[in-house]
Amino acid sequence: MNIFLNELKAHRKSLIIWCIGIIFFVVSDMAKYAGLSTSGQSLNELLAGMPKSLQAIMGTGNFDLSTAIGYFGMLTIYLYLMATVHAAMLGANIISKEERDKTAEFLFVKPVSRSKIIFPKLLAALVNIVIFNIITWVSSFYMVKIFSKGESVSSDIASIMAAIFILQILFLVIGSAIAAVSKNPKRAVSISTGILLITYILSIVIDLNENIEYMKYLSPFKYFESKNVMFGGGLDPVFVVLSLVMIGVLTMGTFVFYNKRDLNL
Amino acid sequence: MNVIEINNLTKTYGNARGITDLSFHVEEGEIFGFIGPNGAGKSTTIRTILSLIYPTGGSAKIFGKDCIDFAPEIAKEIGYLPSEVFYYDNMKVIDLLKYSASFYKKDCKKRMNELVEIMDLDITKKIDDLSLGNKKKVGIVQGLLHEPKLIILDEPTSGLDPLMQQRFFDLLLEENKKGATILFSSHILSEVQRLCDRVAIIKEGKIVTVEKISNLKENNYKKIKIETRNAVDRDYFNITGVNDLTFKDSTISFLFRGDINTVLKKIAEVDITNLWIEEPDLEEIFMHYYEKED
Amino acid sequence: MNIYFHELKAYKNSTLIWTFSLIALVILFMSMFPSISRDVEVFKELMEGFPEAVRKALGLEIESFGTILGFYSYIFLYVTLFGAIQAMNIGTSIISKEVRDKTADFLLTKPVSRSKILTSKLMAALTTLIFTNVVYVVAASVIVSQVKTEAYSMKIFLMITLTLFFVQLIFLALGIIISVIVPKIKSVLTVSLGTVFTFYIIGLLTSTTGDESKRYLSPFQYFDTGYIIKNSSFETSFLLVGVGIVSVSLVTSYIIYTKKDIQAV
Repeated sequence: MNIFLNELKAHRKSLIIWCIGIIFFVVSDMAKYAGLSTSGQSLNELLAGMPKSLQAIMGTGNFDLSTAIGYFGMLTIYLYLMATVHAAMLGANIISKEERDKTAEFLFVKPVSRSKIIFPKLLAALVNIVIFNIITWVSSFYMVKIFSKGESVSSDIASIMAAIFILQILFLVIGSAIAAVSKNPKRAVSISTGILLITYILSIVIDLNENIEYMKYLSPFKYFESKNVMFGGGLDPVFVVLSLVMIGVLTMGTFVFYNKRDLNL
Repeated sequence: MNVIEINNLTKTYGNARGITDLSFHVEEGEIFGFIGPNGAGKSTTIRTILSLIYPTGGSAKIFGKDCIDFAPEIAKEIGYLPSEVFYYDNMKVIDLLKYSASFYKKDCKKRMNELVEIMDLDITKKIDDLSLGNKKKVGIVQGLLHEPKLIILDEPTSGLDPLMQQRFFDLLLEENKKGATILFSSHILSEVQRLCDRVAIIKEGKIVTVEKISNLKENNYKKIKIETRNAVDRDYFNITGVNDLTFKDSTISFLFRGDINTVLKKIAEVDITNLWIEEPDLEEIFMHYYEKED
Repeated sequence: MNIYFHELKAYKNSTLIWTFSLIALVILFMSMFPSISRDVEVFKELMEGFPEAVRKALGLEIESFGTILGFYSYIFLYVTLFGAIQAMNIGTSIISKEVRDKTADFLLTKPVSRSKILTSKLMAALTTLIFTNVVYVVAASVIVSQVKTEAYSMKIFLMITLTLFFVQLIFLALGIIISVIVPKIKSVLTVSLGTVFTFYIIGLLTSTTGDESKRYLSPFQYFDTGYIIKNSSFETSFLLVGVGIVSVSLVTSYIIYTKKDIQAV
């Protein structure tokens, strides 16, 4: 419990900054929609005729940009990115920072097993990403609501947030697993962010090139694309199961490897 | 000539920590001790004269030059060993030593090899893989390889085993004999007592006194211990000049300053089985200085 | 010179990784150009019937994607994003790594002035950036000449590519000033990713509003590739602001760094 609270406190400031960032992003981006919505109808027709590769380049997908929720759908990719970057860095950091800050000698000689140190740490990280998710949810919901013309938006936003949440946990444990395996704690955060960026780039490449569609399993950003998740699509069970399996394996990996590894002091 | 001259040096931080109105000087060729408990301001003073931090008031001169304005020039002739050494982790010892030597415009190779030999250092290892004591040795070698005229040591002995400590002290004495001036900060009195000619005692950011070690000890203090056959009244030795009076079984001990005759007469009237009169060590005097100030 | 070489050595691995990533990125994307340019041809016809305002709302003009330089400009956004992270990483770590690794005492008690230390470090950083840019420009011009479908202006290609270096300089300078001001930076990557993405998102938000003055808010908007292609010149006012930011940051960094207290560890 003490470790859990200590970790919450340690990450409070960064969480607040991230939340401010996300609110700023959602608010200012949706505010931009206000300027756009006038020419929306013809824009929509144009987008409908756009080849898939160009839709990908523009980041517009096949969203109905004349509606607030459609416009929101277009910008969700940035929410995905921000949420996962936060989660991956948090996951890598929360494990590796003891070695980086040379506090490992303090913590790991206390009468608790390593597992009992990692568990509250991951729990604290989980609380952080839940808060992050809720903040994203609330700010998105209100901003979309303001600009929507009475249509129901809550279920679409709820599915997006569920998708984001799964990705957050996935990248959190990717980060923690890397930190648990990596001998050099300084690198754990870089490697995790690197993996994240590579999978993101991969998702763009897949969008641009339909021939490599099968590679979508390699990029979590392709698992729950907002254009599929929203408008009644929901989460694809195949990818939900895949994500859960990966999360399970990586969480176990975090514990197993960290328990066996020599600490880097 | 004064190698270090500190005049009314003041460094205040936002809160209380710091030094106030510090003045003392270190003469050429001496080993100067700088002593005080943790947090007294030793490191702050040293970091200021090394221009790592900047004074809020007063000034300090090294080799007659202002230590802030001429910092790089002065640094040519300074060797510094901090209490905790940290170096570039992914470098090998030899690479770090070469890197260190590359800052001084002279050939340090010979001295470097000598020092490595003396300190028994494995130069092919990575710094990261060294123990604390071995890192310290790297610190000693890198601090002395350019044969500096002024050696500044900030609590240097932590992490060194007694054997290495002895070699290190011998090394310092040798450097001193060759003409190097040494400023030695410590909270361990026996070290200072062993090495230093003069000592400045610092407390809560202020200099309490600057004394010759010999003076300090000769300050008329005598450490007296007697063993008595019969119990003696506790107030019997409670006369002026007696300090730190303690009774343990049949042993009575105290520090005495004043006319030695008065106390000898007192002792003569008691039936004693044994008697010691010694020079007190610095530690005892030093504690005394602090108590007096409180 | 010794500090300079020491720094260069320290950056060697990460520079190679970054340079390689940038090249991989440009090759990956440019290799998709032929298929995309075909898509554009098809879409172009469809788009003719729509008003200018709609096209503007999509950000870049679609038809430019059909041209090699237009497509290059699009992917160049990602290249600059990566390049900015690289530069910001170097800039931020320049001073902060001495504090974090506690080597400041070692370096600053050597007979060199602080401004000389900063200059050597700055030169080393510039060298690595120039290396990255030179290698990148060679690789990029090779791949571009391989996939081109029509003749293009080498001059404009080089001008666009040169803006990578400009953006990197700005972020290098920002990184340095942050590392000089903030007493202790625990994780360089957090700081640099945070700063770069903030400006990137600000750039995205301001790019389509058409409001020129808002473009000053994000260095990513200083070098409009569309403008460069059209006029084969840079926009003077933005160039000046860029130079201003770099010089003010550097001068301030020198002043602060030479007067700063180096605290005990």
